[in-house]
Amino acid sequence: MKLDNNFWTTVKKKYSIYLILVGLFIVCSLANPNFLSINNLTNISRQLSVTTILALGATMLIISGMLDLSSGSVLALAGVFAVSTYKATGSLLLAVAVGIFTGIICNAINALMISTFKAPPFIATLAMLTVARGAALLYTKGQNILQLGNFVELGQGSIGVIPIPIIFLVAIAILTWYLLNHTRFGRSLYAVGGNEEAAIASGINVHKVKYTVFIINGIFVGLAGVLFMSRVNAGLPNGAINYEFTALTAAIIGGTSFSGGIGTVGGTLAGAFIVGFLDNIMNLNNVDSYMQQIVRGTIIALAVIYDIRSRNRRANSMLGKVQDQGAAKK
Amino acid sequence: MKKKLLSVVSLLLMGTLLAGCSSSKPTTPAPNDSASGEKTYKVAYIARAQSDSFAAWLANSVKEEATKYPNIKLEVFDGQANDDKENSMIENAITNKFDLIIVQPNSGESQRPYVEKVVQSGIFAITTNARISGIKGASSVDAQPYEQAAVNARAALTQIPQNAKVVVLKGPSGNFHADERRASWQKEFFDKRPDVKIVGEQIANWNKDEAMKYMEDWVQANDKIDAVIAMNDNMAAGALEVVKGNAKYTNMLAYGVDGTAEALFLIKEGRMTSTCLQNANELAEKMLDASNKLLTGAEKEINTDIGNPLVNKENVDQYIEILKKSGTIK
Repeated sequence: MKLDNNFWTTVKKKYSIYLILVGLFIVCSLANPNFLSINNLTNISRQLSVTTILALGATMLIISGMLDLSSGSVLALAGVFAVSTYKATGSLLLAVAVGIFTGIICNAINALMISTFKAPPFIATLAMLTVARGAALLYTKGQNILQLGNFVELGQGSIGVIPIPIIFLVAIAILTWYLLNHTRFGRSLYAVGGNEEAAIASGINVHKVKYTVFIINGIFVGLAGVLFMSRVNAGLPNGAINYEFTALTAAIIGGTSFSGGIGTVGGTLAGAFIVGFLDNIMNLNNVDSYMQQIVRGTIIALAVIYDIRSRNRRANSMLGKVQDQGAAKK
Repeated sequence: MKKKLLSVVSLLLMGTLLAGCSSSKPTTPAPNDSASGEKTYKVAYIARAQSDSFAAWLANSVKEEATKYPNIKLEVFDGQANDDKENSMIENAITNKFDLIIVQPNSGESQRPYVEKVVQSGIFAITTNARISGIKGASSVDAQPYEQAAVNARAALTQIPQNAKVVVLKGPSGNFHADERRASWQKEFFDKRPDVKIVGEQIANWNKDEAMKYMEDWVQANDKIDAVIAMNDNMAAGALEVVKGNAKYTNMLAYGVDGTAEALFLIKEGRMTSTCLQNANELAEKMLDASNKLLTGAEKEINTDIGNPLVNKENVDQYIEILKKSGTIK
């Protein structure tokens, strides 16, 4: 009996987000018969691929105690540069390289402001949000870039039955999971986010960790920009507005803690799909736009409350253990 | 090292600020007389939001047109889709003693008292896109959002089949153009065609990417969609991107407003039904002509409109030519 209780406690603690995802999946399947169709599920994955790639970058940043509010704007800047490159040269490879390079440069500047000049991540990336969006609008004079030709293949094409953006998403998710769980860099991220002073004391080069994580985020954002513009078949300087918040929402719902040091790739993927399923089922059932906003906001609030409560529970349980050990010694 | 870096950045920032001041000089009074001895007038153009692709097109056209008037020195300001910011800009333009202020309102009524202040200060005022009517002493050059949607809606009365299922894509809630166009569709079409069923209606904020997401879900939720009714061309293009190449939707009708290059090409290809051209070049021509007449004392008050031409398959070539000649389509 006790074993059963322990089992369920462990399952609830470790896998609650996946249980919510499965529960939501079942509810959505019952709420609309079209939800379960292969086309619809492929659509959801395709729609989620860009924001989830951003969310994976955001997860690594939040784990290390950082934040990126500029990802939507940098995505637009990287995307319009990539589109222009493709139109000028006809080279898809060069276009992708330019997109990724733009993402890296913007994020290296973010790292410079945060790590070298000690600017708070919130303010530094907010500044980049404005600068990058302004640069995208200035470069395009506020107009969409059209007639992209074969550039759309990346965002709209498939390999076999699997859409290309989903292949990119899976590859990036595996890479992020590997980095977080099987490399020294990944362990350093958790250490820096958990307690920066302790990380410095234990010999971790915090500057290097921060620069690296921002540059990796830049690669993800740049690539997301290319996929986004390819999917919409245009260079949209106004594209991806508020995508940074969708990415943060996925990470937070997935259990990544804003206090740093906590977060998983699986959790973020689950968070992204929870948001995606909710948006999808509300659209399938033609729920009013305003109501959709309320539902989304409520979910974020609940996720944050859950995060704070579980952290408090963990802290109390650790405190209890320390007190028990102290009493036993006496 | 850090000190040196800080000094370099500070110098760069100061340099940028000084360069910015010297290039725009928003507070320096303009010389009253040009080299030829002719009086020069300071004109402020306060755009609704230069991030909005139509507003950006209009601002670019106004700048271009102003170069044809050696007696006019134009400065463009960006209201950033924010009433408060736009109102402050109008106040600043009064303080800076511009000779004429052109306002493209973000939401008509919010700017009304500020345009009244312009007139009371003895400065010429022109409101445009859309006109703020009923201000004594103020002039206006307009394209009417109600009529822009109405020309499409009247055509749709006979084009959309009986008992059709349609989806509606709206602009941002509270936006004057978005609300007027939707009201126009209601009065000119939906009230007269109770047989037509709206199976999906969402706010896609003028954006192609958001429209795509909604359309993807609606395609899954409905066995057929007979028409897409979009409040601008960007959103119509997004919906059409989703069903591109899908034989089931070959005959789907699609309506928009603006006459963007993308929409004209879609009409030419037979994929979009119609749009209403909101010709930014024509608006700019009329605005600068009115400004010149007011400033030189030729007229005291001018109220004029550009046309709201319906662009469809029959006449699209003529409008493509117009946009080519103006350089909007390259």
